[in-house]
Amino acid sequence: MTELILQSLYSGLLVGGAYALIALGLALVFGTMKIINLAHGELVLLAAYVAYTAESQFGLNPLASIPFALVIVCASAVLVYLLVSRIRVNRELNSLILTFGLGIILTNAVLIVWSANIRSTSSAWLQDAVVLGPLFSMRSEVVFFVLSLALAGGLWWWLSRSWYGRAVRAVSSNRDAAKLMGIDPVRTELVSFVVAGVLASVAGVAIYSSSVIQPALGHALTIKAFIITVLAGIGSMPGVLLGAVLLGVTESLTVTLASSALQELAGMVLFLLVLFVMPNGLFGGARRRG
Amino acid sequence: MLEVNRVRAGYGAINVLWDLSLTIREGEVTAIIGPNGAGKTTLLRAIMGLIPLSQGDIALHGDSLAGRQTWSIARHGISLIPEGRLVFRDMTVEDNLTMGAFPNSRRAGVAHNLARVYELFPRLAERRRQLAGALSGGEAQMVAIGRGLMAEPSVLLVDEPSLGLAPVMVQEIFGILERLKAEGRTIVLVEQNTHLALSLADHVHLMQAGRLLLSEPAPRVDLQRLHDLYFAR
Ligand SMILES: Nc1ncnc2c1ncn2[C@@H]1O[C@H](COP(=O)(O)OP(=O)(O)OP(=O)(O)O)[C@@H](O)[C@H]1O
Ligand SMILES: [Mg+2]
Repeated sequence: MTELILQSLYSGLLVGGAYALIALGLALVFGTMKIINLAHGELVLLAAYVAYTAESQFGLNPLASIPFALVIVCASAVLVYLLVSRIRVNRELNSLILTFGLGIILTNAVLIVWSANIRSTSSAWLQDAVVLGPLFSMRSEVVFFVLSLALAGGLWWWLSRSWYGRAVRAVSSNRDAAKLMGIDPVRTELVSFVVAGVLASVAGVAIYSSSVIQPALGHALTIKAFIITVLAGIGSMPGVLLGAVLLGVTESLTVTLASSALQELAGMVLFLLVLFVMPNGLFGGARRRG
Repeated sequence: MLEVNRVRAGYGAINVLWDLSLTIREGEVTAIIGPNGAGKTTLLRAIMGLIPLSQGDIALHGDSLAGRQTWSIARHGISLIPEGRLVFRDMTVEDNLTMGAFPNSRRAGVAHNLARVYELFPRLAERRRQLAGALSGGEAQMVAIGRGLMAEPSVLLVDEPSLGLAPVMVQEIFGILERLKAEGRTIVLVEQNTHLALSLADHVHLMQAGRLLLSEPAPRVDLQRLHDLYFAR
């Protein structure tokens, strides 16, 4: 029993890497534009299907398909941005409706192009077992977990050290003040969408490589990312990482101890529980004023 | 050097500034005083392009700023130290200051200007790694001023730096403004505290209800008359 629990903690941790990338992208865009991109999960899904096509049609290892996913997903992210930025009135609400619609369009486009069949990688190399003491995983899970950590580290560096990364934080923190510093918020918003696209691309290929994909997955991923972002306390990067692992672990424990039918519900229960105890999220603290 | 020419501006349907004209001269401290709601902040926001002009023009060194975006005006050499400081609360003091040097042409001078700001405000040097949201009002005002200086502006607009500060802190902030004046900087100071403003200013403008009531060199200002005008309805 302990072994089973340890194993599911480990699996949850590994899947948390991809979840973190998705949630970080959602949070980044929320920061600069104060909108929730409900089509974000579909961008991840798109990356997953690009990896599928690259593998099934051209025999590419999913890792090698990342550059293609980057191009296609970032272009789609820019497209979403261009549409959202056209909203002139009541952006908070209207952007929800718009991105929800875009998500549906994307899901159906995926359905038309790739059909409703469940897909997963056929790469034996990625599916090989990696044994770590009593713990077991596929090679893809470990590879992409490490890649996710590296990407999160890179994002942290970018946000805290680079000019544009810091501009993204400045715009998130106080838009008018950022303009007074000579920062063009429009360009910053676009940058945040593209970076979110980069994170979504890797996450999508990770999910394709370690799990199964089908067109409805995008929507489920958006919900997960939203849960994690709110759990984290909006605007906290360590919070997002912790929240992502927490969600991954909760899901995998639920699958191990109860039933896989309850997996999605478990995330919701976690969400409500945490918000009940800590209304500002795990890392929300006393901030979030003014 | 900065010309405000018959400017009309406001918030949507509410007009605040009524054909306001004034000239800011290079190397001078220009004080703009006036009661609450006179439109002083609105004037500074209009200069920075944060609200559009519905009429008139604003020009720096002869270049019109009307219709330009705020970030472009900021890059052009005008820094606003806004009312209420508007620091980036979830960034460190040093990151706040650094963002002041965001324009490409200013990035090379970051290290030098940071050192200058820390020399001006030693208190900020001690708190460089602290989040700006955790600072006291006076310290936040120092961050706002320091951040504005990081851009090496040709005109510094300061909106009510004494607002909500303890008297000691007000003195400290005005001490700094005096130093900046002594360096020959061009400063526009909006201030409710008439005495403080007059002690620093070369030129004084009195605003009320979106219009200029008085424009005089500071030594010529008659305090009694100023107060009569200030409180007149
Ligand atoms: N965002 C806004 N929307 C609508 N009206 C506004 C807004 N900001 C200010 N006003 C109005 O514009 C007028 C001028 O305000 P402004 O802030 O420029 O005054 P002020 O001279 O800076 O006053 P104070 O000394 O209190 O800061 C006031 O009548 C105010 O109610
Ligand atoms: Mg004001």
